[in-house]
Amino acid sequence: MFKLLRFLKPYWWQVIILLVATGAQVYTTLQLPAMMADIINNGIVASDMDVVWRDGGIMLLLAMISALTSFVASYFSAKVGAYFSRDLRAAIFQKVLSFNMTSLKNYSTASLITRTTNDVNQIQMIITMMLSMLLRAPLFCVMGLVMAVQTAPEMSWIIVVGIAAVVISVIVIMTVVAPKFKIFQNLVDKITLITRENLTGLKVVRAFNNEKLEHKKFTRANDELTRLLIFIDRILELQNPLINIIFNGTTLLCSWIGISLLNQDFRYLGNMTAFAEYVTFVMMSFLMLSLFFIMIPRANVSAGRINEVLKTSPKIHYAKKTHGLPEKRASVEFRKVDFRYSDTSEKVLDGITFRAEAGKTTAFIGSTGSGKSTLINLVPRFYEATSGEVLVDGINVKDYEKDDLMRKIGLVPQRGVLFAGTVKSNIKFGAPNATSDDVRKAAEVAQAAGFIEKLPGGYDARIAQGGTNVSGGQKQRLSIARAVCKKPDIFVFDDAFSALDMKTDARLRAALKPITEDAVVLIVAQRVSTIKDADQIVVLDKGRMVGKGTHRELLAKCKIYQSIVKSQLSEAEFRKEMHGATR
Amino acid sequence: MEPHGKTTTMRAKNVKFAFKEFLHSVKPYWLPILLSVLLAVGSAVLGLFVPKLLGDMTNIAVDTYPNIDWGAVGSKAIMVIILFALSAVLQYAQAFVLAVVSANYTKDLREKIITKISNLPISYFDKHKFGDTLSRMTNDVDVLTTSMSQEIADISLSLTILIGVMIMMLTISVPLSLVSFVVVPISVLVVGGITNFAQKYFREQQNTLGTLNSKIEEDYAGIIIIKSNSYEKTASDSFNATNQKLAKAATRAQVFSSLSFPVTHVFTNLGYIAICILGGMFVIDGNLSIGSIQAFIQYVSRFNRPITEIASTTATIQSILAASERIFEFLSEKEETPDEDPAMEVAKVKGEVEFHDVDFSYDGKTPIIKHFSVKVKSGTNVAIVGPTGAGKTTVINLLMRFYEPTSGYITVDGVPINKMKRADVRQLFGMVLQDTWLFSGSVEENLKYGRKNASLKDIQEVAKFCNIEHIVEALPHGYNTMISEDSDNISAGEKQLLTIARAMVANPPMMILDEATSNVDTRTEHLIQDSFEKLTSGRTSFVIAHRLSTIRNADLILVMRDGEIVEQGNHNSLLKAGGFYADLYNSQFAEN
Repeated sequence: MFKLLRFLKPYWWQVIILLVATGAQVYTTLQLPAMMADIINNGIVASDMDVVWRDGGIMLLLAMISALTSFVASYFSAKVGAYFSRDLRAAIFQKVLSFNMTSLKNYSTASLITRTTNDVNQIQMIITMMLSMLLRAPLFCVMGLVMAVQTAPEMSWIIVVGIAAVVISVIVIMTVVAPKFKIFQNLVDKITLITRENLTGLKVVRAFNNEKLEHKKFTRANDELTRLLIFIDRILELQNPLINIIFNGTTLLCSWIGISLLNQDFRYLGNMTAFAEYVTFVMMSFLMLSLFFIMIPRANVSAGRINEVLKTSPKIHYAKKTHGLPEKRASVEFRKVDFRYSDTSEKVLDGITFRAEAGKTTAFIGSTGSGKSTLINLVPRFYEATSGEVLVDGINVKDYEKDDLMRKIGLVPQRGVLFAGTVKSNIKFGAPNATSDDVRKAAEVAQAAGFIEKLPGGYDARIAQGGTNVSGGQKQRLSIARAVCKKPDIFVFDDAFSALDMKTDARLRAALKPITEDAVVLIVAQRVSTIKDADQIVVLDKGRMVGKGTHRELLAKCKIYQSIVKSQLSEAEFRKEMHGATR
Repeated sequence: MEPHGKTTTMRAKNVKFAFKEFLHSVKPYWLPILLSVLLAVGSAVLGLFVPKLLGDMTNIAVDTYPNIDWGAVGSKAIMVIILFALSAVLQYAQAFVLAVVSANYTKDLREKIITKISNLPISYFDKHKFGDTLSRMTNDVDVLTTSMSQEIADISLSLTILIGVMIMMLTISVPLSLVSFVVVPISVLVVGGITNFAQKYFREQQNTLGTLNSKIEEDYAGIIIIKSNSYEKTASDSFNATNQKLAKAATRAQVFSSLSFPVTHVFTNLGYIAICILGGMFVIDGNLSIGSIQAFIQYVSRFNRPITEIASTTATIQSILAASERIFEFLSEKEETPDEDPAMEVAKVKGEVEFHDVDFSYDGKTPIIKHFSVKVKSGTNVAIVGPTGAGKTTVINLLMRFYEPTSGYITVDGVPINKMKRADVRQLFGMVLQDTWLFSGSVEENLKYGRKNASLKDIQEVAKFCNIEHIVEALPHGYNTMISEDSDNISAGEKQLLTIARAMVANPPMMILDEATSNVDTRTEHLIQDSFEKLTSGRTSFVIAHRLSTIRNADLILVMRDGEIVEQGNHNSLLKAGGFYADLYNSQFAEN
């Protein structure tokens, strides 16, 4: 938590103003009871109306100053709190944008989102509270104590008793209840989980006639939660009555002691009232402080999660400037590339060597976990080769400036990703200067023009956040159009065709042909039909290259490729294929 | 201050409905609620006498000075102790009663919502997002019940204190009281105004926060695309602009909401000062005792809190209404029509299914299924093929009675399924969907989902049969391994295999399968295909087919297009016919 306080640094002078204003406010507030004691002692008891008027005037002035400073203080605490969290949020956002795939893999996207949103909100709340309450409470404590001792030194011990009572009662209640909060949170999560499962598994639950079973599960958790809640409340609700008893008790004590001291000095008549108010102030501050310290552990969890992100250093640093002479035609080459996620983990890629030329299609096939997705993510340097070299246009990817490298690559990921905006803004995403004509052409190649024109507004149709208002297949086609519109030297299709039906898949590949004459095309695929016509197919198994060649060549000699083909075609078709290959 | 702003970003649209339903729902609890209100009033009233008695104490001391009558002072002190102790006991009692009420009320409300979820027709969830329903169960219930119990205590306490303090003040001095009362309406108005103003900014803050959160969500999800398109700068700029807007809105909201504090402070201080001066004059004139003015000052300082609290209740009430509207709106949604009573049954299932001229439409306007008629003989394997949007999934939804046909009917062994109990219809079919839903629990529990009394041995046998034995054994705790919908210890393909095995354990007379299209590696694909075949052999089965082998092996292929069966037959006959099916097939598989 305290590590994050460095984000307050740019606002140091505002914090100082805040401190001064708070101090002034506390001081003036505390002067009021003293003035009142003075009115009673020197005005009323002495029947001196002038003193009453004079003191009244001073009190009015003090009240005004108090209000003004209080306003200044709340303005700055609000402002510093808001700008503090703005900076914090921006820092996390920038950090996450700089992450490579290895770092992203460590956190889930959902967790990164929570860290940037909820966790920051938690911290903001605590900071604003800290700025307004935490600053005030110690000031109140110290000044209140001083004033109290000044007005009635003989009664000082009452303060100690009062504070001790408040602190002890808070600590005792919290130590009993605090451990239950964790259980409470777990139960709440369980209720949410069961509800969510009932919603997402709606059809399965009903298909298996398990509504009653699910209901029973829910009721059990619900009952448990209710019992716990009642237990917690039963203890927590002791707090207010206890505090009331303590406050009333101290006031009574003040009066009693004050009266007993009257024989010494009649001024105690006014002073005991003032003293009682000071004691109340001081006890209030302690109450607030103890409540604040109860909140700290909760904020600490958020702060810890944020710090974790901020501490993560990006493992891949791109060069400031691109070094080396590019080849005339585009190409991608792997030379004995190994890859593992960390020093201790197993090799995900093992000695991969191949060259992909412009105008040619290179495809990658293999079962899940064979490393084909990882392989193509080495090209844009989302992962870093553990050993060996990855070359783009003859230059090692490590020698590229980031944008120089990215400019060459048109990437279509497995899952179609769209951004809020219009159809057009999404297709133009990688090519901001593209004309409407370019956009339309890209859509046609991606087999998306047909459905786009049917959308209300056509190319200007709104796309909702995350593209939720178009279907999965449409999303995929739009994200292909986005890559096409960029006119890259290297196309990378990471299993981008499997969400399409086979007919669209075939048409799309035909349309891609003419525009990829000067480009390298890398395709990861599941379906044999998608890659059958590729110029070069790389077969992967457990991170190793077990075959390289055309469909025919591989059918003839690569066992693993044969089994893949066999699983997707019928016996008769397979025989026909084999026959064609060996002919 | 903060929570008020957060919860009131939404206002109830139909206040009357929300209020009526809310009152109706708390009706069973009226007795304990009334009790807690009475306890609150009692506690507040007792507390009120404390300053007055303290003042009396001082008066006795001053009157008998310098030979203070300690007996009289002592008895007053004892009375004070009794009073505030009793007041605290009552306060605890009221809080406790209210805590129990609100806990039980919350429980019942949740129970009603979960029951509602299982009673609503599936079509409801086509139109409403899960997240929305979920947030009614969690956030809205939370808001409603916490603010409800807080409000009941606060309002009854504040009102009692306010009225009580006024009475006590009047008994001490009428003119002084009048001076203090003048402050009340002014400060209520001002605070109320500020709160309302702050609400506006809080809404602005919430909206901006919402925009920013979706931006973050979207950018993080699409980070690869942002990086590979060198879009970082544009994304950052757009993020920073919204972030800046949020900081501004948050400052404004916070400033305005914290403004009510200094403002009420000014008013109470003004009253306080006026009392000091006026009171001083009265005492000097001999119209008032010192003890009384002391007590009076204490009352004035107690006057402050209830006013601020009452002024801020409007905001809380708004949030209660908004939450209650969302909850009760959901609870009053139309439920599924109840099963026929008495319902018909299929005595011995042969597995003959017939669609009789079935029409269906989701919205009553656009027809999805048109004049669908087909007779499926017992034991037939039916493959349903066709382009996306042809209505393949809808046919299956109708068969499972997730939806009811707009016209026409479906029979199983001659019995119309709409005359049967839904549970009985669903019992007839085992279902394997593309969406591989598993609930959080062990592998064993998940496999037993369709037949609770299955033994571990039964399950192991099925596992072997369905090719998942080695997968389960490779898991860290075998059949006891905990898995869930989004668990990543098993792959998508393995999940699919588990759902197949789950259907197999239930051993139903008929099968419905929706083949997954993608993201399964070839080896698993092979296993899935094998299990599919085992699952369907000898049973009447309906498969939404994507794999060529499945289609080719089917006894009957229904080719669908725009909600109609355009062709039917087996693979060879359809190919020969050279129609839509042949077209579809050739575009995908034919060699050159």
